[in-house]
Amino acid sequence: MSAPTKSEYILLFRGTDWHKGLSPEEIQEVVKQMYAWLDRLTAEGKAKVGKPLFPEGKVVSQKKGRSVADGPFAESKEAIGGFFLLEVSSLDEAAEIAKDFPGLNYGASVEVRPVAPECPLALSPSNTQPARASA
Amino acid sequence: MTISETTAPVAPPGEVTQVVEHFFRHEAGKIISTLTRIFGIEHLNRAEDVVQETLARALQTWPYYGIPRNPSAWITQVAKNLALDLIRRDRVFRNKEAEIAHLMEQVSEDATDEGSTTAENQIKDDRLRMMFTCCHSLIPQEMQVALALKTLCGFSPGEIARAFLTSEAAIAKRLTRAKQKIRDARIAFEIPTGEELTRRLDGVLQTLYLLFNEGYKASGGEHLIRAELCHEAIRLTALVAEHPAGNQPRSHALLALMLLNGARLPARVDAEGNILRLEEQNRSQWDQSLIARGFYHLLQSTAGDEASEYHLQAAITACHCAAQDYESTDWPRILGLYDRLIEIDDSPVVALNRAVAVAAVHGPRTGIEAIEAIHKRDQLSSYYLLYATLGEFEMRLDNREAAANYFRQALELVTIESEQTFLTKKLRELENCQKIGRTQAAR
Repeated sequence: MSAPTKSEYILLFRGTDWHKGLSPEEIQEVVKQMYAWLDRLTAEGKAKVGKPLFPEGKVVSQKKGRSVADGPFAESKEAIGGFFLLEVSSLDEAAEIAKDFPGLNYGASVEVRPVAPECPLALSPSNTQPARASA
Repeated sequence: MTISETTAPVAPPGEVTQVVEHFFRHEAGKIISTLTRIFGIEHLNRAEDVVQETLARALQTWPYYGIPRNPSAWITQVAKNLALDLIRRDRVFRNKEAEIAHLMEQVSEDATDEGSTTAENQIKDDRLRMMFTCCHSLIPQEMQVALALKTLCGFSPGEIARAFLTSEAAIAKRLTRAKQKIRDARIAFEIPTGEELTRRLDGVLQTLYLLFNEGYKASGGEHLIRAELCHEAIRLTALVAEHPAGNQPRSHALLALMLLNGARLPARVDAEGNILRLEEQNRSQWDQSLIARGFYHLLQSTAGDEASEYHLQAAITACHCAAQDYESTDWPRILGLYDRLIEIDDSPVVALNRAVAVAAVHGPRTGIEAIEAIHKRDQLSSYYLLYATLGEFEMRLDNREAAANYFRQALELVTIESEQTFLTKKLRELENCQKIGRTQAAR
């Protein structure tokens, strides 16, 4: 479906408590802006899939994840509130899209990263699909 | 608006992605009341936190999954889950966990479904309880208004501050003190009964009247947010008037008064935000549906033989709303109503407004005499409308010098831009007249 020149970029929305100080009216306004933003990207065929991530989580460290630390990710303000997969021509274009993320005005930040075209590890025969969410 | 949670992660293009205006704000008001009943009034802050967290969850997930089929039920469900989490974690609920969890289970997620009138009534009861608590006479009235806006209407301290032209810190302090007062005075979270109900209902109505007035009067603050105060006051008063505990003629009279005045809000200013007088207003801009509702409640208010100040004020406003144009205003009737109102309320502001009616019926000279006769007139000495009204009367008598002096005095006292523009315009008209007059005399 996608044009050959397009590649995938992931937008990571950092910050899980930026909306804590917003009033109900402001929250509604941000939701509205988010819809407008996402609607536009979807209409332009640039948005593929997005998911929210809740702040709760566990830090798995050490080899083979034997030790599991309880609690939230390193710092809640650093944690990822959600992600969004784009299909656009360049990193610059993805970054331009990220600049319009409505949460930016309220203290969230966005990280843009290119998605590797194939999974280099190809872990097991039963899991040959690249590790990415399917639309 | 119908996007299932898993199949369509992103709202399809062109999908209606709107929720009703002020939905989050009003949902917040509903749930805070219900959670406060369950947690206990002393844990009002915790109820507010749960609601805030709930709305944050909506913000985190809705943009990805779309608006739930029943947004209200979604919010109630999430609030319940978060509240249950809280009572498990928070020490203050240690011994009450089972009892609270039981009450929580009884909260219906979907009060909009048919056959769930019990659930809907429960929600209304909760909000009435909150209203009686916020408007308790032991809490100073300015705190009552702020607390009602916060808990029942979902306003943030910042939004309340903008409406009242004060700082957020001042409002935060007001809110903290009000909550402290509730705890100290052990104000119960309940709808009073019997004799107490009558007395406390008056307090609720007074606070709602004040809330409406804050929005209606042009005393500064942001125009938009002030109009919202009027609409919130109407919403809450409707809740009172339609609830068995508040269904009294004077509640309907107050509601009628708000609706009929609120109907004229859109026509009160011109495109530049300048204030327009009654005779300059485009009556086709008056909100006919609000007027219709207003007349309906005015009718309801006549159920008893009571004629409260709200009745009289509503009747005065009704006269304006009933007039096709300014010329057909029934001024003698309005004056008659003012004559009765002044017997109940001897405020000099009422007397000043009566003088306007006097002038309309008997001419500006009699109007000036009526102002001169105002008992407690000195209380009006820094009230710009006293001078603006006198200026208007003098102008009609063609006493331009006197009129200009009054307008200048009014201008010195007025702080709002739109009012300043209005008075400056008047003054300029006069000065032009005088210039023309002088030139003609010189010839």
